[in-house]
Amino acid sequence: MSQTADGEERGGREALVAEYVLGLLGPREHARVAALIESDPALAAERDFWLARLSPLDAQFAEQVPPARILPAVERRLFADAPRSTWWDSLALWRGLAAGALAVAVLAVGLNVTRPAPDVSALTTQLVAALEEEGSDVRFIALYDGEGTVRLTALSGSETPDKDLELWAIQGDAAPISMGVIPVNERSSVVLSERVLEGWGQGSVLAITLEPKGGAPEGKPTGPVVAKGAVHQI
Amino acid sequence: MSTQTPSAEIADLIARCALRDRQAFRTLYGRTSAKLFGVVLRILRDRAEAEEAIQEVYIKIWQRADRYVAGNTSPISWLVAVARNHALDIVRARRPQADDLDVAADIPDAAPDPERRMQSSEDGERIEHCLSILEADRADAVRGAYLDGYSYEELAQRHAVPINTMRTWLRRSLIKLRECLSA
Repeated sequence: MSQTADGEERGGREALVAEYVLGLLGPREHARVAALIESDPALAAERDFWLARLSPLDAQFAEQVPPARILPAVERRLFADAPRSTWWDSLALWRGLAAGALAVAVLAVGLNVTRPAPDVSALTTQLVAALEEEGSDVRFIALYDGEGTVRLTALSGSETPDKDLELWAIQGDAAPISMGVIPVNERSSVVLSERVLEGWGQGSVLAITLEPKGGAPEGKPTGPVVAKGAVHQI
Repeated sequence: MSTQTPSAEIADLIARCALRDRQAFRTLYGRTSAKLFGVVLRILRDRAEAEEAIQEVYIKIWQRADRYVAGNTSPISWLVAVARNHALDIVRARRPQADDLDVAADIPDAAPDPERRMQSSEDGERIEHCLSILEADRADAVRGAYLDGYSYEELAQRHAVPINTMRTWLRRSLIKLRECLSA
């Protein structure tokens, strides 16, 4: 440092770091000072001093709302290769839907075929159901992935004190088969039991009842049906 | 959550980004993108460039979230520094080719909104006080460098003095400023 023409004595070094923090140095000089700071804790402290003392000026940057397309673009760039960011995970999308079962089913098909590299065999066995019931605000979308799991997304509904929601499969004339308690107002997935899988397919009905905490005590529904819907092939 | 101060909440969101929490990233973007876009837009003075830059800024934030050390700097200052440094890197890179500096379009300096000014007034008093003991045009030059990313060439032009004079002025002013800020 001492070799520079103007002789960087103490004040000069400090001013140099200040110039660096302000962004006044040219590319070469900037890189040189950055390297000096990295290797000299005293200079690093000097940089932190300036950053901290100047940062109140940040208040003078006026806010400007960026265009709405920016966030999706950032997420695409960061997470594009990630497996789990499918349309299914977009709770907002589901919540935004008008809930007609048919509309939902049709939309699900449309979205499904636009997924990258869909597995054709899975597609042919995928099933969707919109669960709702008049007079109840509990609404769910169920999607069967063709491989033994039903994924549930709550569209609406809120917790009832001391009660749980229980999911049932109703197939033909057989008694409803419990598929377990499901969380209110969040996504969940349920693995189908052997018994459910035996009769599973187009026409199966999924129903949700309001049960005591922990689920119906004797494995038979006791409470009111708050949502139900038939399963459709998509 | 609701009892946290905004600053603690931002710090918490950054920490969760370091743990790869995408929902936290989205929330952080929602809370801070208008501020950071304001920073890159002001320094770059070009909307298309700023829109590209803001994406890169948030990519850096996601990638470097684990380097934020709570307590060292306020979380919003850290985010602004990421945005500001990124914009300055772009400006610096384009400078050699852009020797004609008289065309820099002016973006009007928007006044800070009163609420924000309130929030930071206590910290801000010191820097404002210390700037106020400099000659007015030198204080303006410091602000212009920090807020607008002006180079020595641009500052010299705006203040109608030779570059070397500007550099001498500013270095002296910075030494004076430092004395005042550490007093």
